[in-house]
Amino acid sequence: MTRINRNILRGVLVLSYIIIIAVVVLGVGRIFSYLNTGADRSTMLHTEIKKIDQYLPKLEWAPLKNEGRLMDVETLKSIEADYLDAWYVKHVAYKTNTTQGVDDYYTESARKSIYDILDKNKAEGIWIDGTTLEHHITLEFFSEDGKLAVIRDRDVLEYKRVYQNEDMLFETKEISTYKAIVLLEDGFWRIRHLIKENNTPYKSEFSSVSNSISNVKGINYYPQATPWDMYGDYFDAQVISKDFKIIKDAGLNSIRIFVPYKDFGKANIKTEKLEKLKTVLDMAQNNQLKVVVTLFDFYGDYEVLNWTLNQHHAIKIVTSLKNHKALLAWDIKNEPNLDFESRGKIKVMAWLEHMIAVVKSSDSKHPVTIGWSNAESAGLLNEAVDVVSFHYYEHLKGLEHAYSTLKENNPDKTIVLTEYGLSSNKGVWNLLGNSEEDQANYHKEAQALFAKNNIQSLSWTLYDFSKIPKEVVGRLPWRKQTQGCFGFINQNGETKPAFKYMSREIN
Amino acid sequence: MVKLSLYIVSFFTVLFSFSLNNDFEFITSKTEFTAGHPIVLQFSTKTNTTPLLYVSNSFGSTLIIADKNNTVLSYKMPLDIASRAGIINWTLLTKTEQLQGKIKVLPKQSVENIQTYLGPPSIAAGGTDYSMLVAIPTDVYDNPLADNTKVAVTYQFRDQQTVDTIIVNNGISHKTIYSPLKTGRILSSSSCLGFNSKEYTINVMPGPPVNFNIAYKRHHDYADGNQITTFSTSIVKDVYGNTVSDGTYVEFFIKTSKQNIIKTSGTTINGIAVAKMKHPDHANSWSVQAFIEGMAESNRVELEYKSVISNFNIRLSNNNREIAIGPLKSFMGQIIPDGLEVTFFVYSKAKLIATQRKNSIEGYARFKLNPDQFPKGNYTIIVKTAGITKSLEHVVL
Repeated sequence: MTRINRNILRGVLVLSYIIIIAVVVLGVGRIFSYLNTGADRSTMLHTEIKKIDQYLPKLEWAPLKNEGRLMDVETLKSIEADYLDAWYVKHVAYKTNTTQGVDDYYTESARKSIYDILDKNKAEGIWIDGTTLEHHITLEFFSEDGKLAVIRDRDVLEYKRVYQNEDMLFETKEISTYKAIVLLEDGFWRIRHLIKENNTPYKSEFSSVSNSISNVKGINYYPQATPWDMYGDYFDAQVISKDFKIIKDAGLNSIRIFVPYKDFGKANIKTEKLEKLKTVLDMAQNNQLKVVVTLFDFYGDYEVLNWTLNQHHAIKIVTSLKNHKALLAWDIKNEPNLDFESRGKIKVMAWLEHMIAVVKSSDSKHPVTIGWSNAESAGLLNEAVDVVSFHYYEHLKGLEHAYSTLKENNPDKTIVLTEYGLSSNKGVWNLLGNSEEDQANYHKEAQALFAKNNIQSLSWTLYDFSKIPKEVVGRLPWRKQTQGCFGFINQNGETKPAFKYMSREIN
Repeated sequence: MVKLSLYIVSFFTVLFSFSLNNDFEFITSKTEFTAGHPIVLQFSTKTNTTPLLYVSNSFGSTLIIADKNNTVLSYKMPLDIASRAGIINWTLLTKTEQLQGKIKVLPKQSVENIQTYLGPPSIAAGGTDYSMLVAIPTDVYDNPLADNTKVAVTYQFRDQQTVDTIIVNNGISHKTIYSPLKTGRILSSSSCLGFNSKEYTINVMPGPPVNFNIAYKRHHDYADGNQITTFSTSIVKDVYGNTVSDGTYVEFFIKTSKQNIIKTSGTTINGIAVAKMKHPDHANSWSVQAFIEGMAESNRVELEYKSVISNFNIRLSNNNREIAIGPLKSFMGQIIPDGLEVTFFVYSKAKLIATQRKNSIEGYARFKLNPDQFPKGNYTIIVKTAGITKSLEHVVL
């Protein structure tokens, strides 16, 4: 008995020793690797520009025909910057019921008008999450000494959500016209008077686009070596071109690709990334493939105050690609319904609706869709989108029903299944997973269903991947392994049995 | 016809305000209010609910709680909102079919203050430069008065008083005031609906100077390198005869007979700028012209300076290693004031091996030839001062 106890004790001691050593080694390793990450040498000179864009609504100046002094570009820019900042600090003030920054952009008498309402709101627990999305400014007057200007801001598109304590009570989009008298004080163009001259409720109307889509047979695409990082340093046009040829030769006519929001530079789109994206579309064009471009990948903020940055990002991408012959449609966001729980459905839906409007206002030709993660959510915003699209990863036996229900509920809309697939994930982490044969059977069955019901579809995906970023499915190895095995071509570049069923025509 | 269209307008207004909601009805008929007057929006209702009213004015938005009296809901705008001119749009936060509309708050047509912005505060005389007076008459709640309100601008210069009427447009009224021909101060003020503003001043400064004359003054015309010649301008004026502002910078360019340029400068006081320059130390002729850069220039004056020294002695001693030059005498035979520059060159076999400069002290300049620097041998010494050169050949050390 004592011996057994002693052995247990010994075992526990040895085990804890091993654990302690492991922790220490790991810790030292972390410290060592941290110390090896040196600072970027360019930061020594402090040459980088610290300005960050926090508020970029659409803004147009009417041609200058003002009374008084002739306006110069520099002054106009500084009036614009301070006027927009004045709106921004006001939005922040109404959201947080604090007055920070207001005194920089409103003169002493003007800020009182804001403080009075803020005091009331704060006392009653009212707060307003709002932003302005469009400004159309005319300079009416500029004084001879260059210190006073009158501007009229027509058709300001305002979005507001009014909360009382935790409850969202009201959501509104309004179109207003404001007149502002601004003064140059202490280097700031401060608002001295602000008068709302007109207001009409905004009615979202989504006109349908001129292009329609039909007979989409496609695949979601990422290069094998760089999934979820398609436009990084390892961007290789030749690899992509070769892949597109494989896709084309497999009998497909479309691909769906993703534009990561942060990677593309958020509001300030990085030109080199945009060029790479254009190259991808050129390659697709060369291989007679049409492209569904999915915007806002890896974006999950939806904060009202960032809408202007989001729309700036979208407008830049849409306007630079809208005339590309390979473009098929815009997917606003991949699976936004997965953010309903963490971010709130109201927030996400309002954001989506606005982004649809933004994309449509920049491109009236190409259809817009949202890649909902399941058929149940696909009815959301169906009035706004041109194409209803959804993803389907459940058992195939439910697909026909899901599709026909969608079809019934959206009789006027084209419906596209933009993601489906099965992972041949049988392995160390998933002993009960699907084999490559299961995957082949799945695709065979899927193709039969598509043919029967005339379903337009894009499968997930061409390749098996070895590197899955944690943002996609998290850190758990079995999840990563599953995500890595959806391909038609395995990690060694060999076609898997399912390859035969990439499309109906392949045989 | 007018009446008919009025009916049509009101018909549509009614349609707009009374959208289809059976439970609530907007019953306030007034749509325009004067700032500061109490604003109460009323709805009749058949239900027991008392929804909140969302209101949004020029500066912000808030929610208002109803006051319920039987079947009438009254929403009283807080003064902070009711006192700001502009549109107030409202929405009744009912569960379905939200009623919405807008009312207009007009500024009170009485003046509490006239905000006046006058600039630039100083302008140049001559009738082309101007300043602008911007007057924003505001009511007691700091709202700019309605457009087309009249504002009288009064301004006075010397004996002349002018009154102009301008009208408020875009919330402001403005008047351009051109400069008179003479310098001085323009006093201005504005008044609106019986309220008078403070007095504001524009300084009328002289315009750009026109060409002027210069003169010089000196005690004698000898190039003694000691006395000072003073240059002065005539009273510098602008084209309308206004004396230029004190502190106008005048630069005098002196061209010597060797075409070198020497500069001196002064700033004007009461239009006259004075600048000084030390006499040259050898015979010279100066040609002087003054400039106010980019604007005006003077006539050119010529000055002659006579040499003060016609000759001097060189005395060698201590085995020719000490050389004394002098006495240096000025025009009356007096010892020249200390500080005359004497330059001393030593040549060996036609090659310059040393140069020394010294200022005269009590009429003499003394040089020493150090044996370390100048070993025994045959040298030539040349002395230059006051434009005279003398040489000693074959000086044996």
